[in-house]
Amino acid sequence: MTRFLFFIDSLSSWVGKSFAWLILVLTFGVSYEVFVRYVLGAPTTWAFDISYITYGALFLMTGAYGLSRNSHVRADVLYRFWRPRTQATMDLVLYILFFLPAVAAFIYSGWNYAAMSVRFREVSIFSPAGIPVFPLKMLIPVTGVLLLLQGLAEIIRCVLCIRSNQWPQRFHDVEEIESAVLREKQRLEREQAQPGPRGINK
Amino acid sequence: MTDPQVGMVMLGLFIFIIMLGFPIAFTLIAMALGFGYYAYYVAGQDFFANRIFTLLVQKAFEVTSNDVLTAVPLFLFMGYVIERANILDRLFRSLQIAAKHVPGSLAVATLLTCAMFATATGIVGAVVTLMGLLAFPAMLRAGYDTKLSAGVVCAGGCLGILIPPSILLIVYAATAGISAVKLYAAAMIPGFILAGFYVTYVVGRAFLNPALCPKLPKEETDVPFFEVVRTLLTSFFPLAVLIASVLGAILFGLATPSEAAAAGALASLILAGAYGALNFGMLKESVYLTARATAMVCYLFIGSWTFASVFALLGGQGVIERFFLGLNLSPTMFLILTQFIIFLLGWPLEWTEIIIIFVPIFLPLLETFQVDPIFFGILVALNTQTAFTTPPVAMACFYLKGVAPAHVSLSEIFKGSLPFVFMVVLCMVLVYIFPGLTLWLPDYLYTPR
Repeated sequence: MTRFLFFIDSLSSWVGKSFAWLILVLTFGVSYEVFVRYVLGAPTTWAFDISYITYGALFLMTGAYGLSRNSHVRADVLYRFWRPRTQATMDLVLYILFFLPAVAAFIYSGWNYAAMSVRFREVSIFSPAGIPVFPLKMLIPVTGVLLLLQGLAEIIRCVLCIRSNQWPQRFHDVEEIESAVLREKQRLEREQAQPGPRGINK
Repeated sequence: MTDPQVGMVMLGLFIFIIMLGFPIAFTLIAMALGFGYYAYYVAGQDFFANRIFTLLVQKAFEVTSNDVLTAVPLFLFMGYVIERANILDRLFRSLQIAAKHVPGSLAVATLLTCAMFATATGIVGAVVTLMGLLAFPAMLRAGYDTKLSAGVVCAGGCLGILIPPSILLIVYAATAGISAVKLYAAAMIPGFILAGFYVTYVVGRAFLNPALCPKLPKEETDVPFFEVVRTLLTSFFPLAVLIASVLGAILFGLATPSEAAAAGALASLILAGAYGALNFGMLKESVYLTARATAMVCYLFIGSWTFASVFALLGGQGVIERFFLGLNLSPTMFLILTQFIIFLLGWPLEWTEIIIIFVPIFLPLLETFQVDPIFFGILVALNTQTAFTTPPVAMACFYLKGVAPAHVSLSEIFKGSLPFVFMVVLCMVLVYIFPGLTLWLPDYLYTPR
């Protein structure tokens, strides 16, 4: 079970992190458009299409990665005061009752939507450049499948937590500065409070 | 049960479920799906033929092809890069020696650094934490009043969600379907007024009671004029130029917000390079954090837009509108009531959820009460400042407490932030009494004459 959990976590992270780099494409692509428009006086016809397709792919495909990092926002006024076991039980129920059906519907409707688009080899309607938009639509069901897998992984995490009353550790990853700094400070304080085996203050 | 009643059950159940702490985006999608299935139900229809499935995927695609939201990842990226560009120490140091003759110079420098850094990064938590590590101990060492120092860091760090180019305003523009450019123009004057209030307050208190902010020791302020200019030129000006050009390009219509954000992100990479902070590690961190934050915001949009469609279809929106109309409110009372509700929502929720989920409920009412959605947006942006510094949630205060020396208590931080909350409310009142403060600049810039 733990191996499945780690496998899904790394899959979501790997896909999410790969697509995350699209932000550089977006930055340079849009800057290029600004450059050619003002410096060379020759705007492109395709820049807008490329920008929304890049942005769309970026956020769709990082959804599961975000879930694996617990970065989808929660209203945690009550939640954070509960024992881990209570948190996990509540999450478990809602993952099964809410998350799985929602994501299943997302895959189903996304698939129909994308299949139709692929059949027509649909192009973007925002410009005459004829930029294909069906690859972006294909990503909707794909992201649904990733979310479904990550949801199953989260369910396993909940079960593990209910057993031990302790959240299993997540992979190390970059953190927002505020949480990274806070954790470092707490670690230092713990070390000062309980001198290690070498005993600084004998 | 009639459909509008079902709609109200939907809203009530939603509020109950999010209080259980489940990720909000998926709660929204699931509830929209369940209630939407009921709303679109046609007897005898095939199970999968229900139109809710089409609605869900269309809303998802609407979010992916929204040109205003394209600016969100770009501004986030710019923010994360600047956060890691090794710039904050220099900025604080340069402003500190530049402000050395002003009463309470350290606190004023802290405010200005916070305001600039927060404007460039737009991330409250990071600004408060970093300034809590850098400026807060510096003020305490210099013998500054603890409460005043704490208030300055917390309030200053929140300015970034108001002063353009703030991400909050982009998200509001996408939610309300109004021009992000006009909204930026409208936020300029209130943003400067609020920052001005803060600085005036600090200088005033330091002037009236010098014991709060003792003068710095001679050797720290004894910096030759040339040195002051040099540090300003190398730290303050590059960032100021970056912010000003991003904003200027947007306000003068040279670039769309997303184009300006892209250019700003590129410039921030160059700036980081110039400060020797650009390396693969920091780039990776910025890229991954950007991706996670973008996914968070955009999935909320998918959920919220689907939810809102179903809610309106069931007639729940109509119930709320009739309720507000039935109260026979004057526009002023309506504004006070809605702002008060948003203030209360700031306790359990962050600004993203408030703006993406709850503000749309009020938006259709604005026309009835003849309130300009831009004007309303600025009031909301001011209002959300208070949520960061008012107990019980007060994220900014907790961030500061997290990094402050152990002897600084949470209640001292709360008390220190309180005067700043009053100044926000005062600013809201001013904006209300003189609508020109918000509406004049967009009108001046964008009305052809």
